[in-house]
Amino acid sequence: MKDWEIDEILKQAAQAPHDVDPAVLDRVARSIGSSLGPVRPLPPAWALAGGLVLICAAVALAGAVRSGFYGIQNLSVLENALLFPVLGILICLAATAFVGEMIPGSRRRVAPGLLLGAGSLGLLAVFAILFRDYGMEQFVSQGVVCLTAGLLHAIAAGLASWLLLRRGFAVNPMAAGVVAGTLAGLAGVTMLELHCPNFEAPHVMLWHTAVMPLCAATGALLARAATRPRK
Amino acid sequence: MARYQRGDFAAATALIHRLSPQMHRFFVVQFASRGDADDLLQETWMRIHEVRHTYRVGEPVLPWLYAIARHIRVDHYRKARRAAAREERLEEMPEVAAPLPVRSGGTPDLEALLAPLPQSQREVIKMLKVSGMSLEEVARATSSSVGSVKQKAHRAYETLRERLSGEKLTGGRTGGLS
Repeated sequence: MKDWEIDEILKQAAQAPHDVDPAVLDRVARSIGSSLGPVRPLPPAWALAGGLVLICAAVALAGAVRSGFYGIQNLSVLENALLFPVLGILICLAATAFVGEMIPGSRRRVAPGLLLGAGSLGLLAVFAILFRDYGMEQFVSQGVVCLTAGLLHAIAAGLASWLLLRRGFAVNPMAAGVVAGTLAGLAGVTMLELHCPNFEAPHVMLWHTAVMPLCAATGALLARAATRPRK
Repeated sequence: MARYQRGDFAAATALIHRLSPQMHRFFVVQFASRGDADDLLQETWMRIHEVRHTYRVGEPVLPWLYAIARHIRVDHYRKARRAAAREERLEEMPEVAAPLPVRSGGTPDLEALLAPLPQSQREVIKMLKVSGMSLEEVARATSSSVGSVKQKAHRAYETLRERLSGEKLTGGRTGGLS
């Protein structure tokens, strides 16, 4: 059997009339009519994505202003030129993806899992190229400080992002949670790169990068908790 | 849709009457029960009404609408599964033979025709062939890539080909086309 024959059968089947009980339609129309009023549509997707990028930049910069720009000051121009554009690209991708997840029927340019995986691996690769000091002095104590600072800034970025997109509607809350967490995590990582003067490769690769997957996991858990039906 | 967003009741009613049959069919194809489909249709319209501001004028309506309908369907499916898990089955249900995919008038019955397909393939075929959506629109509605939609459609055709050819060989009727 050829494809066109199947097409023909499906076409015939699709043409068969399919009526909906008029009483159901009347009920729907009445319910909608009782609360019908003009609504303000969401701003364009590019404006929302731009807003999210600005939020991330503002949170990272605010954190670095408070704690000091030791990281960016101690890196060479070339190193800065590699690290921050990569972070910028990842933030733009995550912001676009988050807006897409909050507007039904949007084109999905990158899957949330792929964004998180590729983003984490991309950051690890950049860190591996930039940082060659493999010392592990005060690995855990300094690491926990950085991880905490990164997570706190990510929380701030996540809350502000949610406020901006609170009028959106996530048809796939888990995916939206992962993307929102990834974006918030990237804001935390950016703050750490601006601030942290510890250039030991194990420190940066573990404690800085970990902010992103941890935030994504938190986002997914929060989305799951929010969508779980109450008993 | 833009008029509906501005609060025009006539536009809202026209939209409901125009789009409900295909949405209802979308639910029937998934659940094969008109009662469930009626409930889901109403629930979908209520949700559409709540989030109508998320539609962006100039964008295609169907992907937006089906994305919301899918969300309602998935929600319903989860609730149904949870309820089923709590119910204690006394004995195994006897296996029921699949009905022949033919309506009384000789027209192929879409619901029965698509019944052997997995849900993800069924919805893709329904959107492509019944709602007349493009691959790009189906990809938007299902939050997936065009490649993934193509793959699902291809697999669905393979299954349908196998089934319809089998019926042809055994002398079964396939919508009056064999």
